[in-house]
Amino acid sequence: MSIMLFLRQIWLFSQVELSRLWLTRRGLMTLAATAVIWFVLLRYAIAPASEIMQEPNFQKTLTAAFGMLGLHQLLNWPAPELTLYWMLSLILLPLLSLVFTANQLSSDAARGTLRFISLRSSRSAIVLGRFCGQLLVQLCLIVLSLAATLTLSSLRLGAIDWQAIEAALLISCNLLIVLMPFTALMAVFSAWARSSRLALSLAIVSLGLTFGLLSWLIHHQPAASFLLQYMPGAQIWQLIPTQGWQSLQLAVVPLAQTAVLLLIAQQILSRRAL
Amino acid sequence: MTTQPIIKVSQLAKSYGRNKVLNKISFEVNKGETVALIGQNGAGKTTLFSLLCGYIKADSGSMQLLGQQPGSAALFGKVSALPQDAQLDPAFSIGQQLSFYGQLQGLSAQLARTETLRVLALVDLEQHYHTKAGALSHGMRKRACMAQAFIGSPALILLDEPTAGLDPANALHIRELISDLSQHASFLISSHNIFELERLCNKVLYLQDGKLQQHHAHAANSEACLSLQLSAAANSAEVCQQLQQLAGITDVTAGRNHEYQLSYQPQAADDFDIRLLQCLAANGWQYKQLTKGKSLEQQLFAQKKAAHV
Repeated sequence: MSIMLFLRQIWLFSQVELSRLWLTRRGLMTLAATAVIWFVLLRYAIAPASEIMQEPNFQKTLTAAFGMLGLHQLLNWPAPELTLYWMLSLILLPLLSLVFTANQLSSDAARGTLRFISLRSSRSAIVLGRFCGQLLVQLCLIVLSLAATLTLSSLRLGAIDWQAIEAALLISCNLLIVLMPFTALMAVFSAWARSSRLALSLAIVSLGLTFGLLSWLIHHQPAASFLLQYMPGAQIWQLIPTQGWQSLQLAVVPLAQTAVLLLIAQQILSRRAL
Repeated sequence: MTTQPIIKVSQLAKSYGRNKVLNKISFEVNKGETVALIGQNGAGKTTLFSLLCGYIKADSGSMQLLGQQPGSAALFGKVSALPQDAQLDPAFSIGQQLSFYGQLQGLSAQLARTETLRVLALVDLEQHYHTKAGALSHGMRKRACMAQAFIGSPALILLDEPTAGLDPANALHIRELISDLSQHASFLISSHNIFELERLCNKVLYLQDGKLQQHHAHAANSEACLSLQLSAAANSAEVCQQLQQLAGITDVTAGRNHEYQLSYQPQAADDFDIRLLQCLAANGWQYKQLTKGKSLEQQLFAQKKAAHV
């Protein structure tokens, strides 16, 4: 198969996933669920907390308490709303990503739809296309929630802050990279499991077990602590206090994790009976 | 000049656990042939289909479709299939999905839409372009699934139970459609409906206990046989007695529903069928059906039935 047809097929699969978000009942439910989650967070957490973060006493306390950890850097974001969005989304979105991307392949395989598709496309293109589609869908959700956060900030300031928009762009890029290994992990489990529910359960159990085993190993062999950095999302705690485009330096590990996980997903789907 | 077979299977084996579903089967299908795949439940028909489509891997043996391995990228758009029980995504309209399949095959968005309308028209579903697959009846979903197999111009079309679950009118329509399309593509059709396969196919693959028991064109041994069905009024003992008098006849067997199997020596009586009709007319027996050769059902199962007796 020519590389052009391969890339075209990946784009076609991605378009289908976007259509699934905007034009199907299930996709609209996902949008509604995201809107509700972010409305609650913006209205009852980010908006009041932004007011508190403006107070000099709070800023002094934060610097004194967490200065060693670099968390005082959080105060350098152009808008406190973005600071809170950044912290919340780094913790929340990977979890939501596991849920929202659990059905990349399993339903189609169980229904037999993959049999129609596999006569027209390689299994590698199916895995990559669905993965890219899910990333685009998540990018849409991130952009929408960031737009709501920026609107909240603009309403408080009474003006649009262009620095905040640039920061929002940086946040989008970073969040997308953070979500990549989680989305690829769900590609692995959805290539293997017969249903999205089973794929999600397997992912949660696997992550929990791996983390538990690593913790036990590190407890007995502290030298093995370096293994923790290879867990999906391990860079999140380092990302929280980072600022500016230099934060993308932490992208190497998640990108490598994504490549490895996608290769595993491709191998599983290639060997799977359809 | 010899042409390369469109399907070439050699010593193909597939087991599930200890159950040998296919036991070193070999066969070839040539371009332009419409081939029937027959066998009892569990005989391995769907397994063979899945192997040919590249859905599963064989334990041993080799397969080639149009000179390529099943699942090869070179076969995209050239081999299509109606797999058993496969369904379209219920969240999208059938038009959207078939257009998407067309685009995956390399058609532009506009061409894929035109092609989708063409294949939906073939199965009388052009009015349902915008209907979601989940909103269609079982029979309509089946026809939509069949339509996807006709997108583009596939050289080989594999159909697993194409008319199962269809009402008689639509089943007839699908049979006529396959008959028309078989002028341009080779078909491998799996079905339990022997009469359907008899009308459509010129070659039979009969799978039994994982082996290819019979493999022949069903017209091959039909020269000296006639199948006769009379109206209810005739007495079967009397009919047999009268038919035995015909010159060149070697055997008369009475079956159920006033059916008779006649064997004769064609070289001894080349006007045998004419004299048979004269005999029927002389005795005032109305015939319902007179067919040259044994039916496919008789060819396939008479031997087995005889073995059981």
